[in-house]
Amino acid sequence: MATRSIVILVIIAAIALAVPPFLPRSVVDLLVFSCIYSIAGLGVGLLLGQCGIANLGQSVFYALGAYATAYMTVTLGVGAAWGFLTGVILSGLIALVIGWPVLRLTGHFLALATLALGIVANALFYEWDWLTHGSLGFGGIPKLNIFGLVIDTPLRFYYLAGAVLALCLLASANLIGSRTGLMLRAMRDAPEAAKSLGINAQWLRTRIFILSAIFGSIAGSLFAHYGSFVNVQSFGIEKAIAFLIIPVLGGATSLPGVVIGALFTTLVPEMLTRFGDLHQVLFGLTLMATVVLMPSGLMGGLASLSRYMTARGRA
Amino acid sequence: MLLGLVSQSLLSGVTNGLIYALVGFGIAAIFRGAHIANVMQGEFSVVGAVVVDVLLVQIGMPYWAAAIIGCLSGAALGALIDVVFIRRLVAQKAPDDSYLLFTIGVSITISAAVLFLFGREGHLLPPIGSGQIFIVLDAVVQEHALWLIGISVILMFALRYFYRRTTLGMRMSAAAIDPDGAATIGIDVRAMRTLTFVLGGVLGAIAGILITPIIPVSYMVGLPLTLKGFSAAILGGLTNPLGAVAGGLVIGVLEALVVMQMSSAYKDVVTFSGLILIMIFMPRGLLGRAGRAGG
Repeated sequence: MATRSIVILVIIAAIALAVPPFLPRSVVDLLVFSCIYSIAGLGVGLLLGQCGIANLGQSVFYALGAYATAYMTVTLGVGAAWGFLTGVILSGLIALVIGWPVLRLTGHFLALATLALGIVANALFYEWDWLTHGSLGFGGIPKLNIFGLVIDTPLRFYYLAGAVLALCLLASANLIGSRTGLMLRAMRDAPEAAKSLGINAQWLRTRIFILSAIFGSIAGSLFAHYGSFVNVQSFGIEKAIAFLIIPVLGGATSLPGVVIGALFTTLVPEMLTRFGDLHQVLFGLTLMATVVLMPSGLMGGLASLSRYMTARGRA
Repeated sequence: MLLGLVSQSLLSGVTNGLIYALVGFGIAAIFRGAHIANVMQGEFSVVGAVVVDVLLVQIGMPYWAAAIIGCLSGAALGALIDVVFIRRLVAQKAPDDSYLLFTIGVSITISAAVLFLFGREGHLLPPIGSGQIFIVLDAVVQEHALWLIGISVILMFALRYFYRRTTLGMRMSAAAIDPDGAATIGIDVRAMRTLTFVLGGVLGAIAGILITPIIPVSYMVGLPLTLKGFSAAILGGLTNPLGAVAGGLVIGVLEALVVMQMSSAYKDVVTFSGLILIMIFMPRGLLGRAGRAGG
């Protein structure tokens, strides 16, 4: 089984590396967004899949990363690395300060608290235009330049974002496989038992919240460099909802599921645009149907399909 | 003049607060009867208001008939959502966040459908009554605002009576609190949940019809209404109509004061920061234990 999944992983990686140069620019563009959204969605997925926390506030950290990059590179004119670093540190600190009290809540209340957080932050981003330039936004964010290689085409950016995504996935897989991952699942599935074994639930959840925020911030910085323009419209409630939809559609407990969820949320609306104004309705219906028909997400759906096929093959 | 400013702003705070409470009633009803955080409650209001607008303005039905059909459409939508979708989720023993995500999906779908069928622009319904204007403490009061206040208060007491005194209301609560126990004593738990959604749909539609002479209905009002309604309901302890009114009034008046003292932009910042703080420090809501148990 282990060798089989390694083989599958290698095949997928080979496709992801080899195919995009032959795809039209518009599709590569969507793939770049899939990678960026996967990174942000991965953070939400870790919270949801490992801690059972529905986070509707990821847009806050996505925005922090994007604004940090914009402010550092445009207003202060320093290197891109400072933007990433500032975003990550700021997001981590804010996640610590906010997460510590808010993560005491559970279930619906926690989800609503994170949603409220997203709305408050969006209103502040809008109001503090001396810092964020409000709805006018920041333009002219420079292209990334890595050791002399300028990342100025969608294809080059795709490889960069893909590499960052792969690193984030690897880090998450490590975390889940570690002692901490075991503690997280114990806490999610049997909170009382975990507590009696001396697991500090609040601190553990805060740590994952900080990690999730850092992923969101990195995704935001990448987004700022890719589009070279950010304004407050990119960080509304809709974005926070999209970041939650990504892991849920894919299957919250599975890491590859997050990538599939992100591909779904970027590619499916695009495919549906041929239906004109109806495409939003169709997207909503698809979302409803997926939640109802595939409770463990697209990955869960695929798994049960393959079980069904194997069972049929044997019979 | 100063008195006029203060009373005008308090009055608009009270009116807005009761609007939030009206949306909060449906959220509280569905949470009480199904333990589901219903993120699509605002869309019930949008559907109710759009149906009434089409019947009244475009077909030319009398107001009362259009309003009744509007409420029935909310009820039908609630029943449909429960019978077709929620039943399956319950049968799968889906986790809490599935319901949350499902209602988000419904909310996206309805909002997009309204955009598709009804267009981008907002529509206002005519106010109830003759559109007369009263002057109270130097503030201008429209007759419709008085109807809204009156109907909200009546609904609040009616819901309170329904849950406390009628067998059906108590059955609906019991089916949600202890489904197995309720089933043992012969309560049809599934039917009670469907009725809960019907009630939520009707309350949502009523709210929509009452709100729309003040706030134009369009595809994008659903989610903001839901959020404010949720804030009102949570402040009140989430299951209690009396609490939703108290919560709505607190938010409405607070917003009015913020708008008067600071700037309208900080309205949502103050409301939603307050919501987070209340959830952390007063998890039972403003009315505390008694408020949550009663109602």
